[in-house]
Amino acid sequence: MHTVGGMSGKWFEGYTTDGFFDEAVDGGGGLRPHYESIASTLDALDPADLTRAERRRNAAFRTQGITFTVYAEDDESTDIERTFPMDLVPRVIPADEWAFLERGLIQRVTALNRFLDDLYVGGMQIVKDGVVPRWLLITSDGFTPEAFGVPVPLGARCLVAGIDIIRDDQGAYRVLEDNLRCPSGISYVVENRSALMRVLPQLFATEQVQPVDQYGSMLLHALQRVGPPAAGDSPTVVVLTPGIYNSAYFEHVFLASQMGVELVEGRDLVVEDHVVYMRTTQGLRRVDVIYRRIDDDYLDPVVFRPDSALGVPGLMAAARAGNVTIANAVGNGVADDKAVYAFVPEMIRYYLGEEPIIDNVETFLLWDPDQRATVLDRLDQLVVKPVAEAGGYGLVIGPHATDAELAAARQQILDDPRNYIAQEVISLSRHPCLVEDHLEGRHVDLRPFVLSGEDVEVVPGGLTRVALRKGSLVVNSSRGGGSKDTWVLAHAAGDASADGEDPGEATEVLTAPVRTAGLHPVGRR
Amino acid sequence: MLARTAEYLFWTGRYLERAEDTARLLDVTYHRLLEATPGHEEVEAWLDVLRAVGLADEFEVSGRTLDGWSVSEYLVLDPANRGSIRQCVTQARSNARGVRELLAVELWEALNSLHLDLQSRDLALDVQLQPHELYGLIRQGVQSVIGVVDGTWVRDDAWRFFMLGLLLERAEMGVRSLRIRQSRHDEDVHEWFATLRAASALGAYRRRYATFEPEALIELLLLSSTLPRSVLFSLRGAETILTDLVADERSLSLRLLGRLRAELEFADPIELVGPGLESTLEVVEARIREVAAAVAAESFLYRVDLGLHSLHLVPGGDPR
Repeated sequence: MHTVGGMSGKWFEGYTTDGFFDEAVDGGGGLRPHYESIASTLDALDPADLTRAERRRNAAFRTQGITFTVYAEDDESTDIERTFPMDLVPRVIPADEWAFLERGLIQRVTALNRFLDDLYVGGMQIVKDGVVPRWLLITSDGFTPEAFGVPVPLGARCLVAGIDIIRDDQGAYRVLEDNLRCPSGISYVVENRSALMRVLPQLFATEQVQPVDQYGSMLLHALQRVGPPAAGDSPTVVVLTPGIYNSAYFEHVFLASQMGVELVEGRDLVVEDHVVYMRTTQGLRRVDVIYRRIDDDYLDPVVFRPDSALGVPGLMAAARAGNVTIANAVGNGVADDKAVYAFVPEMIRYYLGEEPIIDNVETFLLWDPDQRATVLDRLDQLVVKPVAEAGGYGLVIGPHATDAELAAARQQILDDPRNYIAQEVISLSRHPCLVEDHLEGRHVDLRPFVLSGEDVEVVPGGLTRVALRKGSLVVNSSRGGGSKDTWVLAHAAGDASADGEDPGEATEVLTAPVRTAGLHPVGRR
Repeated sequence: MLARTAEYLFWTGRYLERAEDTARLLDVTYHRLLEATPGHEEVEAWLDVLRAVGLADEFEVSGRTLDGWSVSEYLVLDPANRGSIRQCVTQARSNARGVRELLAVELWEALNSLHLDLQSRDLALDVQLQPHELYGLIRQGVQSVIGVVDGTWVRDDAWRFFMLGLLLERAEMGVRSLRIRQSRHDEDVHEWFATLRAASALGAYRRRYATFEPEALIELLLLSSTLPRSVLFSLRGAETILTDLVADERSLSLRLLGRLRAELEFADPIELVGPGLESTLEVVEARIREVAAAVAAESFLYRVDLGLHSLHLVPGGDPR
């Protein structure tokens, strides 16, 4: 539709936004000011230069083994180690937009920590006060009675949270989902940055970008702050991995080495008298804080799945006794539940007495007869999601679905309304990506990482995921997604450009009114 | 350090050394046989290679015919043979991947490149058409990993376990190839030269000894204190490392290794290479294995499910 004018050089010739909100190009076809420096750097480069840079980056990731595993159907020896594709054009977030996001993320994660602590050790005040229905919580897959009474120092239950953020067609930021169990992707944030600095250093010459490589020390600091009281000032921290066959193994290695702590498997740990030890060449050594990258179900065969060989028998009892801290806390899945997600704005109001800074995506709760009727009428225009799945599994996108898929979705909703939600289709913003020798718009989202320890902190930027296939809205790595280096600028939008190229639109985003779905039962109390 | 981590490192070292030693053996055997008359001698020579790497029985079970091509294929690329070079490198990498947080990026890159290189080649074709290049490439690949180890790795316990595995494997391989050579009572100078070449020792031999004497050669490969691939040299290195590793001076592994090293170090060469040599070599090989077993029992005990109270308990542990 809109073609970007000649002012922005050869790479943007013929670039179209097709009516979508584009991160780099405004509705009038002009380059947004915070992308000008990148555009002019790119102008000095030929497609061949970028292809070469891309090849160098891929080769480097492969020899360094920065990979994730795509599981084969039956035989683990045929699993494939893949590199996560990275598009070379970075995503840029101006400082003022980031400040807004940062405040919103801190607010949200603070409320989620309060909610989980209230639920598991605080007597469920929020239920007693009628804000969230008890039945909704206890019917959630992630609800974990075994976590009742297990303390977490500082109430930092979501020690690492990955909050998925998208931008709608007006450019307003919204939270799509909360990942509060074992969110992954931070290693790519750091490795993408270091790869881009190596293969296209000229991009960084004219911009001041906030660094991301402090993540390891931020994480270690947060983990040390939640050690059990008996462990004193420098508790022994370990990272617990399911092992080399896990798809995110590289990330586990990355985290352990960035923090300089041991990477352990379940069989390396042993519990004696409610104290956790690791087996070392010198005997047993006490462990105080476990940053685990194993799901709740596999953590302790005594309490959860008895057939799990990945976990540590007796771990939950040790945590209950206050002798070890497990991060993220057990039972967080209840707040990942997409039906519970719909109540997060209410949690923010309830616990913090504030209005949510970043809005949710409007969500229909299907157990409510009125909302269900509306959804069933408009099924071909909405997205239906199972409440407990992550990674885009089980998603039905109405406008793209066949009649048969819609009929199946309808039946699933009628059979089990508690376990589905529906949302308006949000097309996600687009971002220029290198496609062969030119740029094309591809849909992106953003997963910032939020750490809770003494304070709640956000790593500047986060993981920008890209749906590399044309037109696709699915950004998940397991399903054809890629990533981008994500820059948070040290200056505000427009500050860098002499002619102050319309920063109004970005400002508008910041002041977008908090919208609530008309039929949202918890939207107005 | 974690017991499992120590074991992974130990085996990374072993597998790497084994890949290199196997390539060396194959290389010299192939080239010696180019000059020899085909027939009975050739079959024997390939059987010796299998014995030297300790896989003669497994090879027979596999039902392959005993010839150069088949043995080479079996020892280079057979996925069913855990001792094949490709499998050794894959195992070394997979063990290293289990402890990646401890390895320097350069080290991992060197090892991973070797692995990716072997994965991407048509090894069957290489064995047929350019075996010398292939074996050279494997040797260089392993040596560049070991070079990075030597040049960059902090001399911590992780390094020690890696080197311990590597040196014990090298010593064991060295003894085994001597045993094979010796057991055949072979006076063929070419056979002996091949053995020297496989240990990168031919030049050293020529500079030191004027004429060819099997006794001199055994003395060099077994007892030299300057030849890096001699058995004594490897065992001395292993002993130094083990001394730094074990806190307990009465550790079984250290005692076994110290005794073995002393016996070789202070042996009378003339007595040693006499008629009793064959059984001496057999004993040395068995002792090296005992040392490895003792190291495993002392340091990798996560495998052995000992009762907790029999373990040495250090709550709080020593500060890293």
